[in-house]
Amino acid sequence: MSAEPTPKNVYAGVDVGSLGTKGVVIRDGKIAGHAIIPSQLNSEEGGQAVLAKALEAAGISREEVRFIVSTGYGRISATYANKTVTEITCHAKGANFLYPNVRTIIDMGGQDCKAIRIDAKGAVVDFAMNDKCAAGTGRFLEVMANVFKVKLEDLGALALQATEIVPMSSTCTVFVESETISLLARGEKPEAILNGIHHAIANRVNGLFSRVGIESEVFFSGGVAKNVGMKAALEKVMKVKIPVPTFDPQLTGALGAAVLAQAFAAKEETCLVA
Amino acid sequence: MPGGLNALKKIHDALARRPDELAAEKAKGRKVAGWVNYNIPEELLDALDLIPLRLGRGGDDRLVDTGARYISTKNCVFVRELVGLFEEKADPYIKAVDFVAFDATCMQVYRAAELIKYFFKVETAVLGVPRTFATEEGKEYFRHELAHFVGRLEELSGKKLTRERLGDSIALYDGIRSATRELYEYQAGDDPQISWLETIEAVQAGNFLDRRLFLGLLKELNAELREKQGQVRVRNPFSEARIFLSGSIIPPGDRKLISIIEAQGGRIVGDDLWSGLLPSIEVDIKAPTVEAIADAYLGRAPHGALPYLDLDSDGRMRILKGLVAKFKANAIVYHTLRYCDPFTFKANETKSVLNRDGIPFLEIHTEYAGSDYEAIRTRVEAFVELVRNRNLVEA
Repeated sequence: MSAEPTPKNVYAGVDVGSLGTKGVVIRDGKIAGHAIIPSQLNSEEGGQAVLAKALEAAGISREEVRFIVSTGYGRISATYANKTVTEITCHAKGANFLYPNVRTIIDMGGQDCKAIRIDAKGAVVDFAMNDKCAAGTGRFLEVMANVFKVKLEDLGALALQATEIVPMSSTCTVFVESETISLLARGEKPEAILNGIHHAIANRVNGLFSRVGIESEVFFSGGVAKNVGMKAALEKVMKVKIPVPTFDPQLTGALGAAVLAQAFAAKEETCLVA
Repeated sequence: MPGGLNALKKIHDALARRPDELAAEKAKGRKVAGWVNYNIPEELLDALDLIPLRLGRGGDDRLVDTGARYISTKNCVFVRELVGLFEEKADPYIKAVDFVAFDATCMQVYRAAELIKYFFKVETAVLGVPRTFATEEGKEYFRHELAHFVGRLEELSGKKLTRERLGDSIALYDGIRSATRELYEYQAGDDPQISWLETIEAVQAGNFLDRRLFLGLLKELNAELREKQGQVRVRNPFSEARIFLSGSIIPPGDRKLISIIEAQGGRIVGDDLWSGLLPSIEVDIKAPTVEAIADAYLGRAPHGALPYLDLDSDGRMRILKGLVAKFKANAIVYHTLRYCDPFTFKANETKSVLNRDGIPFLEIHTEYAGSDYEAIRTRVEAFVELVRNRNLVEA
């Protein structure tokens, strides 16, 4: 007869991002369930909804959850959470949980991009974020997918079909969109243009790392990490090897939040947040 | 807990009365000399019986847009807002000035001086500043420039500089600088009765108040703190995220970054801002002469607009490290205004030097618009988490 989980062993993390809302539930130190839904206008309701879905996937009731941490831009509206922590700290913890040897994280989310260096315990050593600009973010790639009339998830694979790179003169979303239209009209191959776009973004991300440094191993997290073209461009430009993720990289922040929930509950890191 | 200091209330009240006082002084025939930048020796203005006002405010995006009609948007928001203030001419201190002195330390401010004179017909006096401040040639150049500047001030004030009056003025400003340094020690201490924000607001009140009254109020404030706080001690810096602020100017009115740091649980315990503590550090005027003032001002920590000549021995880096240690700060938030190139271009070098000493460093690159508020909040919050986590490990 298998023992029923006790409430104190269940923790949840909710990451309310600009494009996706993610939830992860851990039980007895292992991932028990997770969910991703599109972000809603009301981030509080979105957080509640993804939590319910993640719990349903885990077969766990809400009452069994001992501690919840929320993160992401919607963390400020999370009455369901016991604590809020920034996504920078959460991605660090999540990556460390999955890959203890990781020391550098490239996090590319819906509206920003982060360069994060961590130590062996998953504590943030240094970080840098892109400025208020959509270049190199999920939103940027959404716009590009619309320009090329392909699904967002097919964008990277299409770029990988290219045998050449069409250099882009900018990474500004608006300028790239108009430049792309001009290049297509000129007869350039769509996959070569896309390859150029991915490399332009990779160069920009590489610039972020000039501020914090790169230390092996490198992990690629966030929704954009699902883009195989982006991963390949980053590996080439940054001269690093990025492992193929064994767990959905878009869930890394929510996973880190769940890991921190467990730590907070155990009163191990109570000083981390205000 | 900070707050409730009688002397602070007196400073606020004095500030509220100041525009009317200035009008009364002007009615009696006294002249008001505004000044902008870093290297204008107020001692000279005071000694010529001019009323000095340190001009410039921040945080008002509307005035930035107004200023941008006259000066390129590739200049920082402080400079654009300064030009906007002169265009609008609603600020009581801008209205009060008879002329404005500028020094050519920051070249954007220097450009603003030209535009303000050209477009708004404001009388100006400009003081040249050497780029090679550490060389004998640089010092000699500044002595000549300051002597020429005094001539211009005498012309504008209609008075002659005397050694006796200059001696009095130097004593006055030595007193203000000393009292400012003492005030900063109280805000950094255990169980402080005054916050860093209250401290810098008191210091910046001195941009506008009658300087003799200001010195009296600063002394009164320090005495009140001495009585309430006793001897300054910092016993347990690991219990809080103690933040040191460095970088571009944070003038009166610009409170965006400060309020974010405080809201995220960081405690600011010091600064080396040219709008804060920096002008009160290491000013040693050895004689009541223009030449001695030139040497003393050039011997201070150089302004960020001047180049790093030798990073490891640069006076700014030495002072920054010294203040971080003195105030027992855990980390540095380095504030750079967009297009404030002098500080922005130094950020990476400064970070690398401080990281070698194990001091966490966060650059916040911003301007006065509120559109990046959330992004800054996330950075600052994560930085405070980082600092607290380090403290926890070290403790």
